[in-house]
Amino acid sequence: MASIRKSGGVAPFFWQGKILDPRDDAFAESLAPHRFRTIENAASEEISTGWVTPADPTGDSFAIEDLEGGVGTWLRFRVDKKSMPMKWLQIHRDAAEKARGKRLSAKERRELKEDLMDQLLPRVLPTITLVDALLFHARKTVLLFATSKSAKEAFSKLFFETFTVQLEAADPLQSGLRADISPDQRHALERIEPIRWSKSAPGDELASIASAGRAASEGAPTARDHVTPDAVSAEDHARDAEDDQ
Amino acid sequence: MSVTDQGAESHGFLGEEFLTWLWFRWEVDGGEFKLSGGRVVGVAIDDFLSFAALTEDETEQTLRRGLPTRTAEARTALRQGHRLRKARLLIAEGDRQWTGTLDGPTLTMSGVKLPDDAEECESESDRTEDRAANWLALHEIVQSLYGLFLKERLDKEYRSSGAEAQAAWMAK
Repeated sequence: MASIRKSGGVAPFFWQGKILDPRDDAFAESLAPHRFRTIENAASEEISTGWVTPADPTGDSFAIEDLEGGVGTWLRFRVDKKSMPMKWLQIHRDAAEKARGKRLSAKERRELKEDLMDQLLPRVLPTITLVDALLFHARKTVLLFATSKSAKEAFSKLFFETFTVQLEAADPLQSGLRADISPDQRHALERIEPIRWSKSAPGDELASIASAGRAASEGAPTARDHVTPDAVSAEDHARDAEDDQ
Repeated sequence: MSVTDQGAESHGFLGEEFLTWLWFRWEVDGGEFKLSGGRVVGVAIDDFLSFAALTEDETEQTLRRGLPTRTAEARTALRQGHRLRKARLLIAEGDRQWTGTLDGPTLTMSGVKLPDDAEECESESDRTEDRAANWLALHEIVQSLYGLFLKERLDKEYRSSGAEAQAAWMAK
């Protein structure tokens, strides 16, 4: 069995609630009902997603020792996708139109596509994607070694189906809620608004920035004067007050 | 809705503020952070920066290679109040060093490179153990740094202290 990757992308997730202890056989057994199932011989376009182990990419066995990942538990899932190669479809359509001497109608194109799918899809091999994750049971954290939306969604769905707990992406809010902050700060975090760092002086944009050093020495307002946390809101309030008058 | 408000439910803007704060702390204080448990890490911004657009009409600016933090374009973006959306970070703890691009709004990392495998690793399982520990350490470091930032950001005096200092730095 190869070792776990040492580079690439990583998306952290948290969960709440309890899942089985990965040191127990029951944990490995719980993966089996959601194991990967092959679509090698399928005659239609489809996607199959399920657990495998780093030692067995078929999804036929789930030995606890195959999940050994040092300080974590090494999970792996497999996504096979079978789709009609569009180039084949185009070649067959071009040949049919050449033989007929005219373009196929929409109905004929649809029928041709269906015939070709019946003939070709059983012979088409699916594309295979293996995605790893490291689960840290005590920390209720899992690191997914993929950052694409589809991989994150597939993993979250599989995790939920297997352990019946919902994963939460470790985004700035969720990471903040788990940080070592006081209850007051936690409350403040939920209601926090972005700081609007002000733009430079209206109307003078880059020119004012280029001359900021000189202007500062002359005591004139500079870009720096406008880059204050409350600058925009203060300007807005002043404008609102003028409008009211 | 402005671009900076996107991901409001997940507080994506806070991740951007966090990245910009890391840059600020690196330039002003040298980038050394004392984390809980006596952990000391060094953080530096490497060769990739991407600034968040302030509005949907604005161009998102990406700077790569060399020393992008030293460029006039980067200073201009800061002066105009742009936050960092993504940045390639160098993170060091003891003799271990990680590199990777942190995406502020999601706190995911791409293009991560772990420290070299420990010399005592003799088997694949040794390497897995070593790398798993390094992945976990990277995650903990990023979360701890974010926690440090939040403590400062959520302080009641933040706007008159830390934010003012950062505003002055951004305007330099």
